[in-house]
Amino acid sequence: MKDETARDDYLWDGSGEPEPDVVRLEHLLGRYRHTGAPLKLPARAAAPRRFALHAAMQILVTAASLALVALSAWFAYSVRSSGWNVHSLAGGPIIAGARVDGPARLPIGEAITTDGSSRARIDVGSIGVVDVEPNSRVRLVTARVGEHRLALDHGQIRALIWAPPGLFFVNTSSSTAIDLGCAYTLKVDDRGWGRLAVESGWVAFQHGGRESFIPKDAVCATRPGIGPGTPYYSDALPGMEEALTILDFSPTQDVRRQAALDTVLTLSRPKDALTLWHLLSRGTREERARVYDRLASLVPPPPEATRDAVLRRDRRALDAWWNALDLDSASWWRLWKRKWQK
Amino acid sequence: MAPVIPRTDIPVIGDRAAVTRFPAGHAVEDGNLVRSARAGDESAFARLYERYGRIVHAVLLARVDRQDVDDLVQDVFLTAWKRLDDLRDPAAFGGWIGMIARNRATDAHRRTAEFVELPADLESPGATSAEAEANAALAAIRALPAAYRETLVLRLVEGLTGPEIAARTGLTPASVRVNLHRGIKMLRERLDR
Repeated sequence: MKDETARDDYLWDGSGEPEPDVVRLEHLLGRYRHTGAPLKLPARAAAPRRFALHAAMQILVTAASLALVALSAWFAYSVRSSGWNVHSLAGGPIIAGARVDGPARLPIGEAITTDGSSRARIDVGSIGVVDVEPNSRVRLVTARVGEHRLALDHGQIRALIWAPPGLFFVNTSSSTAIDLGCAYTLKVDDRGWGRLAVESGWVAFQHGGRESFIPKDAVCATRPGIGPGTPYYSDALPGMEEALTILDFSPTQDVRRQAALDTVLTLSRPKDALTLWHLLSRGTREERARVYDRLASLVPPPPEATRDAVLRRDRRALDAWWNALDLDSASWWRLWKRKWQK
Repeated sequence: MAPVIPRTDIPVIGDRAAVTRFPAGHAVEDGNLVRSARAGDESAFARLYERYGRIVHAVLLARVDRQDVDDLVQDVFLTAWKRLDDLRDPAAFGGWIGMIARNRATDAHRRTAEFVELPADLESPGATSAEAEANAALAAIRALPAAYRETLVLRLVEGLTGPEIAARTGLTPASVRVNLHRGIKMLRERLDR
């Protein structure tokens, strides 16, 4: 790589012989440089001030009046406008017993249902769209600025969200999908078994204290009463998915588990470090010890991720090893507080 | 022994994002500034703006209409200011604000996607040839893969050196150097057509 870039010293740090075309481009494009215009910030925390009593009372009365007017206006507005826009993509989806042919509204608490020949598109406020595929039922649970939440009772949806992470959620009977800025498909069958496949970005799949993080080109199953399984890449070697199903959803005394773990460890490629990392905090201690050894052979653990700490499921140790996995731009979801865990 | 996933100095290939690693000292300073800003210290946030204004500007300029960029920079920092409490690791401010900028650019692009775009090298009335040439160069950069266009905008528009880009984006110096090298090569090919 050094040979490839050796003649770019001027481009790299301004040293060396100036390259005429680079100088020309700097000169031309410098006109678009950031000007550093001052920011105009609203106050985060108002400093305490002393007011004369009569002035304070005046402000209180005025504020109360304004609040009353605003509350009335908000209530009137919200009654009229709560919910999300919907339109039919095919056939006649149903909302509250009425067939949707043109633009319609999905009110909070209501469901949209599609049959075998109908599809619909829901505008998720201004942050994305959700396509409801045939034979599906989707309810609108929450529609407010900081939380956009649907429930997929059964069927399939495809979500495309461009908002910051942690604003869009889809409940299923077994897990909650938390969008981390991405596109994904989520299926739930009549038993409540789910499967999430990510096309771009990342999705968190969470139930109780169990969570899985699924990147682009990976999938993850979920089951009622257990929660999300272990994510794996869709190009995983044959046998991986079946083995993970046993490990994720069978009781620890299931005799098939040892062979299933053998399969997972044998079939794991370097990119399957994603899968192995999730298995570090699942299963019996003996199983996790074997996972530790295999993952360590693929990605050396950082100093904090000692064997003892990882087998204790120490959060800091697991996080440190995750950071060592170099999962492309994956680290950004970790920058956001996991509000959904509260 | 099974192959080891490379952990550092991974060059960016095409649109593949490289791993971000901020210098520890830099990140610690960012963390302190974020904590002060959370307490309402506007000067601390202004310092973060000084550090990352050009990064955010470049991320946006590489993606959205030039006329919208300044407003969007303000918008991104305003969002960050309001949501500072959502940042789990204060030391990770650089990666976080970059991500907000990319999401904001995607949103802005979506909102304007329904309008037909004029050819990027179309001269506006009264434009000088230098302006037209600058527009064409910017349009050519914006047609490059994401990793190259951001790095080139930071170097050629914002005037940061490669080591400065590495320090502020968290990319490894090797990744930045490769991005610059390959990006300028592709840019030359496009401008020569």
